[in-house]
Amino acid sequence: RVPVLADHPLVRGPRFRKLKIGAGHRLDVKASGVFVLGIGHGNMLLTDLYNCHLTKVYTVGGLFGKATDDFSDTGNLVEKTTFDHITREKLERILAVIQGTNQKALLMYSNIDMKTQEAYELAVKGLIRPMGKSPPIITAVRCLQFALPEFQLEIHCLHETQQYLRKMVHEIGLELKSSAVCTQVRRIRDGVFTVDDALPRTQWNLQSIQEAIQNCQLKVETELEKTL
Amino acid sequence: RRGLGVAAGPPSTRQLREAEEAAPVFQYAGKAARRKDRVFVWGFSYSGALGVPSFVRPDAGWKKPRRVQATPYRLETEEKISSAACGYGFTLLASNTRDITKVWGMGLNKDSQLGFQRSRRDQTKGYEYVLEPSPIPLPLEKPQQTRVLQVSCGRAHSLVLTDSEGVFTMGNNSYGQCGRKVVEDEIYSESHLIHQLKEFDSRVVQVVCGQDHSLFRTKKGTVYACGWGADGQTGLGHYNITSVPTKLHGDIAGVNIIQVSSYGDCCLAVSDEGDVFGWGNSEYLQLASVTETTQVNVPRHLPFKIGKIKEAACGGTGNAVLTEEGNVFVWGYGILGKGPNLIETAVPEMIPPSLFGWSDFSPDVRVAHVRCGLSQFAALTNRGELFVWGKNLRGCLGTGRMEDQYFPWRVTVPGEVVDVACGVDHMVSMVRSF
Repeated sequence: RVPVLADHPLVRGPRFRKLKIGAGHRLDVKASGVFVLGIGHGNMLLTDLYNCHLTKVYTVGGLFGKATDDFSDTGNLVEKTTFDHITREKLERILAVIQGTNQKALLMYSNIDMKTQEAYELAVKGLIRPMGKSPPIITAVRCLQFALPEFQLEIHCLHETQQYLRKMVHEIGLELKSSAVCTQVRRIRDGVFTVDDALPRTQWNLQSIQEAIQNCQLKVETELEKTL
Repeated sequence: RRGLGVAAGPPSTRQLREAEEAAPVFQYAGKAARRKDRVFVWGFSYSGALGVPSFVRPDAGWKKPRRVQATPYRLETEEKISSAACGYGFTLLASNTRDITKVWGMGLNKDSQLGFQRSRRDQTKGYEYVLEPSPIPLPLEKPQQTRVLQVSCGRAHSLVLTDSEGVFTMGNNSYGQCGRKVVEDEIYSESHLIHQLKEFDSRVVQVVCGQDHSLFRTKKGTVYACGWGADGQTGLGHYNITSVPTKLHGDIAGVNIIQVSSYGDCCLAVSDEGDVFGWGNSEYLQLASVTETTQVNVPRHLPFKIGKIKEAACGGTGNAVLTEEGNVFVWGYGILGKGPNLIETAVPEMIPPSLFGWSDFSPDVRVAHVRCGLSQFAALTNRGELFVWGKNLRGCLGTGRMEDQYFPWRVTVPGEVVDVACGVDHMVSMVRSF
């Protein structure tokens, strides 16, 4: 075959002139982790995924003994407290209470009439979720590591912001009669996308992006069909 | 070091670090900080059963009378309360201290179910409604050695169990439920009479009050009963009243009973082998698995194949049992906890554990205790959470809403719930702070 001059990139121009890129759930400057972007047609899928209201999973690292004004370890110091009375058992008790109150909020904001049989059946299966606007709700918390003064939690949540998670770490510190700051917020799952699907900085090139989109297509379609 | 005429500028990293290290360290709780025991009450307050006088008679201008306390409210008590019981419009709190005052009562006192509460305005009369926890004077022989183990309240009578001086009964005795002979035309209000019961085959370890009858369980595993028997709730083989505690036979003769429960007119007993026996009212299918009659006056074994039973709780129209695996089974009539479609069943139905907080994330959550009020149920998990369901009569569920609850719902209590006592329209819980 004779090469056609019209196919040469210098003649036809760059393949992509403008790209419509949309961002999924926000991730602020001090946090890290999975960040979902949509390209072109994917932006419509992004809106649909947003309406599915799926949970996101974070690993949150905390440090006892300090309290700062913006709840993270880079803020201005407000207070230092002792923390040697804190045990893993006390922390897990507080986490159980947080789960309990958030469970109630989950049922209340889901706007289902509690008196119906279908509300009972959904509650048994654990499928009641707020399908509209709601304040941040935490569906599950678990303590992964505990080594005074540091600890690490895994948090499953809905409609939250990273600052809300840092505030929660601060409130856990207060509840344990000490103080805590948040050292790390890392999103490890956003709906159907996990860290394994995510592309690190070294792989931000066309080939890997196309492969990643193809790998996730099936998962996204099944999830959208399930919910809508 | 800066000169005197130069501005400060933002602190450098080194200055920040030094300031942080030099900051004082506050200590809010030392290593020896103990968890405190608290009492929380909620429900209908105008009877005085909650023990907060400012709900009924506001003591400040801005306070308004509060008819219903829909969420748990902390009640300040002088001593650590080890046992509480809710009757029909009144409450008893007991502490196992060796001090002279061991039992406090509040609420309705029209039948002297709280003993004689001398009125401060007129020394010859007593109070009909007691609005705050007031000590009940028990006629103990050794008041500084005896301990009160447990209290129980019925419709208009109460029982106090001590460790060495038997059982004290007070209140209405028109059906012999106080264990003494019925006196015709006796006036029960403002009465000083507190009866003492000592003649049992061994030490009494549990007392339970039904609506108008009393049950006593002894250490040997036998059950005694006295009081009204028109529904067979005394289990003595007849439908008359009994004024002296009499031993029960029937299917529980020779069986070591480890727990008895009653609140309305039906009674359940659990043996050490995990079997459950029932007698009394069966109009709501409580005993329909063994008989079609609506009154059963002899204890009958209920042949349920749901596993070994650890605890039973009897309500007015519905019953609940807890098995060794930590599952709750309910049967009877009313709001049973499985949605609005299940109104009545004669065979126990299990409540799915996922409603009590069990999930793949937390698979070791189990129900530790079940309790019954007249038309409500309460369950305590091993994590210290309290779940309630049933008819929300005057806010007694404590959920903050006034609607009935058709499946188990968490009650937000600031602490780990250790025990809960359910009444007709109020509840009392004993909580340990975090």
